[in-house]
Amino acid sequence: MIRHYLTAINAENIKEWKIEMSYLPDFIRSFIEPIVYVLPFVLYGIALVGGRNSPNLARLVGSGDIITYVVLGYIVMGFLNTACWGMGWSLRKEQWYGTIETIFAAPVPRWVYIAGMATHSTLHQGGMIGIQVIVIHLLFRIFFHTSGILPSLLLIGLMLIALYGMGMMVAALALIFKEGWIVSEILHSIISVVTPIAYPLSVLPVFLREIAKFMPTTYGVLGIRHFLMGERVFFTIPEAVFKLLLFGFVWVGFGITIFLLIDRKVRRDGTLGHY
Amino acid sequence: MIIVYEELRKTVKIWLTYPLVLVFWTIFPIMWVIPFIFQGKAFVGALSSQAFADLTGTGQYIPFVIIGAVVSTYMFSALYGIGNAFREESYWGTLEYLIGSPASKGFILLGKALSEGIFSTFFALSQLLFAIFLFGVKITLTKILPILLIMSFLLLALYGLGIGLAGLTLLIKESRGIIHSLDDILYLFSPIRYPVEVNPITKFVSLFIPLTYALIAIRGILLLNKPFHLLITEMVALLLLDIGFLFFGFYTFNTLERKVRQTGTIGHH
Repeated sequence: MIRHYLTAINAENIKEWKIEMSYLPDFIRSFIEPIVYVLPFVLYGIALVGGRNSPNLARLVGSGDIITYVVLGYIVMGFLNTACWGMGWSLRKEQWYGTIETIFAAPVPRWVYIAGMATHSTLHQGGMIGIQVIVIHLLFRIFFHTSGILPSLLLIGLMLIALYGMGMMVAALALIFKEGWIVSEILHSIISVVTPIAYPLSVLPVFLREIAKFMPTTYGVLGIRHFLMGERVFFTIPEAVFKLLLFGFVWVGFGITIFLLIDRKVRRDGTLGHY
Repeated sequence: MIIVYEELRKTVKIWLTYPLVLVFWTIFPIMWVIPFIFQGKAFVGALSSQAFADLTGTGQYIPFVIIGAVVSTYMFSALYGIGNAFREESYWGTLEYLIGSPASKGFILLGKALSEGIFSTFFALSQLLFAIFLFGVKITLTKILPILLIMSFLLLALYGLGIGLAGLTLLIKESRGIIHSLDDILYLFSPIRYPVEVNPITKFVSLFIPLTYALIAIRGILLLNKPFHLLITEMVALLLLDIGFLFFGFYTFNTLERKVRQTGTIGHH
């Protein structure tokens, strides 16, 4: 049974690669876009402080290197795209292609389809981030502790579990709202504001700071910057690991539940294929 | 004019079918600015930066990025609303009817541009109200008229670009990627989010983008209290770019539309 599911997951992954490569300019663009996306944040920072070192940031977090600080934040947040766009957008795309009914009629549980999308999105996003890091490093030179890479990867892995749960929920919501991009965009925008991507938690208003403590991305971004550039954080590493495990458990459970409920509803109402 | 009116009516109906989208465009472009504000607070530790003032003439980075966000609504409208308009018709299955109808394509595009212009203005005004309420941005009524004039000049250039993209969409079908790239490029090379003067490459490329002149002029009026007659250089540059972009837009659209009809690929996905 597991082998059967794994085959289906891989088939979904391969199918997505094939579709993406059919639109080659778009495929190439996906690797350039993250670099172009992060540059305005870096250049804005340089314009604000007149160089790459901010004494105020150094006072707040222990390091004043704004370029490394911003780039590391946005690299980690790239994985949010996996949840919000890669997975969240998946069912809507099938609706467009006119294949959603066929996929839903396949003899595998729904989560297998979502797992296939998650596998593909993670691989694609991983490649994009890899290229982003290399290019930004060549352009600006980012400085980080190499000893922090392994623990950072562990935190990214844990953060991804929670984000997958979120992605399942978004994918399902697209079946109700139809214009699924809006759900992805809203969630992405809210999390991007609340997560301390290019600023420490201390500059947020108190209520946003409290909300941020419930975001897996907060522990992901801060934890990784802690390992790679020594940012001072408000939690211990075991606490961060525990919180990320907890968020993963809660979000995956919540995501699957929402997905199954919505799946049943749209099939009962007969609105699965509606636009 | 019936075609223009019907396009407008259709667009209104579609917008009202997805009310969440309507709410989204009213609020979220302002929300995307918030990380820049927090970033400013973290890097500078104050609401004004001397280094920023050296580049832009004003150290107040919050109104700087808010103005960029509001004006960029029109950029989204041109790229996604007009540029992607025919792709959406293709998804809905109505493209062949539209292209095959005896209506002039120019008027169909005019209808789409007008609809986009009306909705974008509604969104921009709502965002401005949010900005006034949330961030205390101040706008005096006497400044509104010159800003409207600058905006109308900007719209001509942006919608020229959008019309060209609409033609490209007919040819290559899945143009969302290209449009998205253009969106990123405009963000990077025009002073929407940051002063492009900070880097010589961005400064040079920005000279060919209409948003640069419009934003310099609007910020000049709003943040530096410049009288309109001191912004003539920007207005002339904007006018020249209008002519170039409109010519490019209509020429590209007409050429590519003729090509896809000749090759019979209009209905392809």
